Amino acid sequence: MGGDRARGSEPLRPDAHVCVRGLDKLYPLPKGDTVSALRNIDLDIRRGEFVSVVGPSGCGKSTLLKCIAGIADVSDGAIHVDGRLVVQPPDNMAIVFQRDILLDWRTVIDNVLFPIEIRRRRKGEWLDRARELLDLIGLAGYEQRHPWELSGGQRQRVAICRALIQEPQLLLMDEPFGALDALTRDELNLELQRLWMSTHKTVLFITHSISEAVLLSDHVVVMAAGPGRILETITVDLPRPRSLDTRETPEFGRYAKHIRGLFESLGFLKGKP
Amino acid sequence: MNRAGSVTLVIAGFFVVWELGVRISGVPNYILPSPSEIAIELASDPLWYARHAAYTVGSCMLGFFLALALGILAAIGIVYSRVLENTLYTLLVSLNSIPKIALAPLFIIWMGTGASSKVAISMLIALFAIVIDTVLGLRSVDPDVLDLTKSMRATPFQVLWKVRFPTALPAMFAGMKVAISLALVGAIAGEFVASQVGLGYAILTAQGMFQTTRVFAAIVLLGVLGTVLFYLVNLVERWVVPWHVSQRGAGAAAH
Repeated sequence: MGGDRARGSEPLRPDAHVCVRGLDKLYPLPKGDTVSALRNIDLDIRRGEFVSVVGPSGCGKSTLLKCIAGIADVSDGAIHVDGRLVVQPPDNMAIVFQRDILLDWRTVIDNVLFPIEIRRRRKGEWLDRARELLDLIGLAGYEQRHPWELSGGQRQRVAICRALIQEPQLLLMDEPFGALDALTRDELNLELQRLWMSTHKTVLFITHSISEAVLLSDHVVVMAAGPGRILETITVDLPRPRSLDTRETPEFGRYAKHIRGLFESLGFLKGKP
Repeated sequence: MNRAGSVTLVIAGFFVVWELGVRISGVPNYILPSPSEIAIELASDPLWYARHAAYTVGSCMLGFFLALALGILAAIGIVYSRVLENTLYTLLVSLNSIPKIALAPLFIIWMGTGASSKVAISMLIALFAIVIDTVLGLRSVDPDVLDLTKSMRATPFQVLWKVRFPTALPAMFAGMKVAISLALVGAIAGEFVASQVGLGYAILTAQGMFQTTRVFAAIVLLGVLGTVLFYLVNLVERWVVPWHVSQRGAGAAAH
């Protein structure tokens, strides 16, 4: 289990919203062996920061998110959110998954209000807020539609509203735009930035797109697979708000190239001779 | 041509061929009566037929609703409890491999020749389809949705009522469509064994006196009733799960 390392011994940073120390995640294999999905992950996310995790498939980035969300157990190490050890899903946290997983039998507005029902708050009091969120994200007039009547991009917007109505301090996003076409993805990237800049929630954003990570983030955590581990954390010092043109700037290119270089050095990206 | 039109045409064609076949071949009516003779027989005493049909449909519906209630409860138990899955589910599967009609005489011994024994047989025969499909439905929840509810700290009851149950509804209706026909089979089987009323009784007594036309009249009535019951379930399904993929075409037309 690699018990030679001191676990969770480093002090918590006082301004850390999320603090991961020495996180290990093992999955059992059929023959009694285990496979290491995450090994010795240390990660700090300060309040109000936008942090992306980028890495190849199978590097455990989604597992990391699930551990922070308190919906997957950790094998070793500790995760603190708001200074409290995560043993169950923390308060003030919401998740957006890669698939929108809207409930087919509910209308758009009722899908957005689903967390309000689950958390036993009065639906009536949140109706206006739900409409406001849908309005904000460009779905005004779609309240009474059903999920199957919407496009993929619209569905994911509803899923984002479903997360935002919980008024989370911490927003966990697991490749939320991974299943969308490139144009819709660009559009939602910019909308997410706008939302984040106006609310300053802490965002942990999982993606496999280097440019998406650089465009949106304050810090990009680069992970490698086998076992899942952090290679480097890059601070992206580009002015905000960033636009799609930002991607054409030399500074952006340098960040993207640096990250690509990290993957290339490990043999993950072997496109060019 | 629309669907209702083609269905009517096929059924009408069937009766025309039957009528002509009987008339041309000259088969005696105690072997095979013609549709017109059956219609005359039904019209000769509609109240008598209505009374027997009502009794059979009553046993069938009661058995069906009991099977529905018990089946859903059993399925919830099976999905949530490993112990019940290993005991109750295994028991139901082995019980189902017995032709349940063979149990009908036992129910007459236990519960008498009245309606309760028919209801019990009807329920038993319908139960399995409900349990199997409800278990399947309750288990078909997307794991990501369960993660979502977990992240909101939903209670197990909330997950059952707000996620699992609505997810299961389309599968449950598939089970109910099978179960409603089976419930009718159960009611008739009970009446065959021992009864003083019901369409099963009507068939059995008419057969004893070679009143073949009456046997056919009762069978036609059973066919109509079975179809009506099936489409009733179908109608309720459209009303309850208009959001399901299988219903969307119909739902869009209704808007």
